[in-house]
Amino acid sequence: MDNVTFLEIEALGGIQTHAFIDHGNGEFTSMLKSIYDEQQAQAEHFTPIVTNGD
Amino acid sequence: MAAGLGFKTFTSGEVLTAADTNGYLMQGVMVFASASARTAAITAPTEGQYSYLKDTNSTEYYDGAAWVAGVEGDISGVTAGTGISGGGTSGTVTVTNSMATTITTKGDLVPGTGSGTFARLAAGNNGESLYADSAATTGLRYSATPSASNPVLNSAMQVWQRGTSISLTASSGVVYTADRWATSTNANQACTVARQATGDTTNLPSIQYAMRYQRNSGQTGTGLLLTTQSFETINSIPFAGKTVTVSFYARAGANFSSASSVLVNYLMTGTGTDQNRQSGAYTGEVTGNNNATLTTTWQRFSYTYSVAATATEIATGFAYTPVGTASTNDYFEVTGVQIDIGSVALPFRTNAGTIQGELAACQRYYWRNTPGQSYGFFGTGTTTGTTSGWGFVTFPVNMRTIPSTLDYSTIALQDSATNILAVTVASLGENSVYGCTLALTVSGATANRPARLISNNNSAAYIGVGAEL
Repeated sequence: MDNVTFLEIEALGGIQTHAFIDHGNGEFTSMLKSIYDEQQAQAEHFTPIVTNGD
Repeated sequence: MAAGLGFKTFTSGEVLTAADTNGYLMQGVMVFASASARTAAITAPTEGQYSYLKDTNSTEYYDGAAWVAGVEGDISGVTAGTGISGGGTSGTVTVTNSMATTITTKGDLVPGTGSGTFARLAAGNNGESLYADSAATTGLRYSATPSASNPVLNSAMQVWQRGTSISLTASSGVVYTADRWATSTNANQACTVARQATGDTTNLPSIQYAMRYQRNSGQTGTGLLLTTQSFETINSIPFAGKTVTVSFYARAGANFSSASSVLVNYLMTGTGTDQNRQSGAYTGEVTGNNNATLTTTWQRFSYTYSVAATATEIATGFAYTPVGTASTNDYFEVTGVQIDIGSVALPFRTNAGTIQGELAACQRYYWRNTPGQSYGFFGTGTTTGTTSGWGFVTFPVNMRTIPSTLDYSTIALQDSATNILAVTVASLGENSVYGCTLALTVSGATANRPARLISNNNSAAYIGVGAEL
């Protein structure tokens, strides 16, 4: 089960908020929180996007 | 008998001389009841005498030695043979070369359609090439010369930077499996997408690997399972306004649960820019689909679609709707995915033509460095404080855009005093399409020591950066 935390990281442009996803198996993914939020919005709206052409 | 004198018109009162008689009057055709009557009448025939025999209705002339049959034609009719029309049995006979009249336009060819048959093949469009095609009436067809390469990256399922077996949770959201191929699952649909050897050199043209998309045994979700590859706008534009053919090889697992073993092929187009079709419908989407009926043996399928002139995005994909509870082999396998301009699938070819080229093309979207040894090298770095550091990584190819995601596992900084500083958190810092700075969280560091970014005693450690659509 993924565990997501948000951390502020200092960068040259200022403080950035990053999302850290702990996949629970020693693997991690990080990205800007804005990117994470965008992906989550897609996931939440995800439904089968085409129908079987039968 | 002397030679005739020709033709003369006698005038009234003119004396008929012996010379006139022999030179004009005796030059005609003498009529006899039979050859014997002629022999009796002409005891000393001379060369050039001509006779008509009533009993045989024939003419004969004397050649100086004997009476011989008069010259006449022995052709009783002209019959048109193969490739010829016309003919007749009397009068003026006309025959026509049918192959010639089949030609109507400059550039026409007249290929054979079978034994002794032929048909017109109209000239192709400018720049097209002539190909053998057993499905065509004439066995030949014109088709666009493949100036555009196959736009499908990793079309032969050769590149799996994220691992050769990807476990998908139910309701996974968008997940990349084989490079450039995205998918997503629905409720109660934990799945596995894995590289498989095709194991078939008969039905596949030397394609080593395929993607297996499997609904895990016991899963009950019956939502559509779809995997797609979305092309950048820059790679989609060349297909706008064209007829294209999507071709692929596919086969089913023994328990493939799709009704009628149907695998649906899609070609979706949109009018947006660089959208990921797996994440949702394109702007201005037009979707085409065809059903491929799979068996457990590899088959090649090809389907033709029309791409609107206004299309700026293209994606192709494969999907099936599972039925019931998954058994142990509820899967399909696919490989050799290709898109050609025109209505015919050309022989399969990858985008780059080499594994090196395919890998580099895929790394433009996602690059994963897995050193494969306990302390393998990722890049240089430095500590910046007691709990922080930087790592510097250069990409092997320019990425599509500045990467937005970072994947990592079991990485560490080793400082100049050889301390191994396990990285607990890493994020993309200042970066570009050429390389990136990783902002690292460690513990027990001494600030400002040069370091190297390495795998932390784990050969499976990796760093991956993503610039996917």
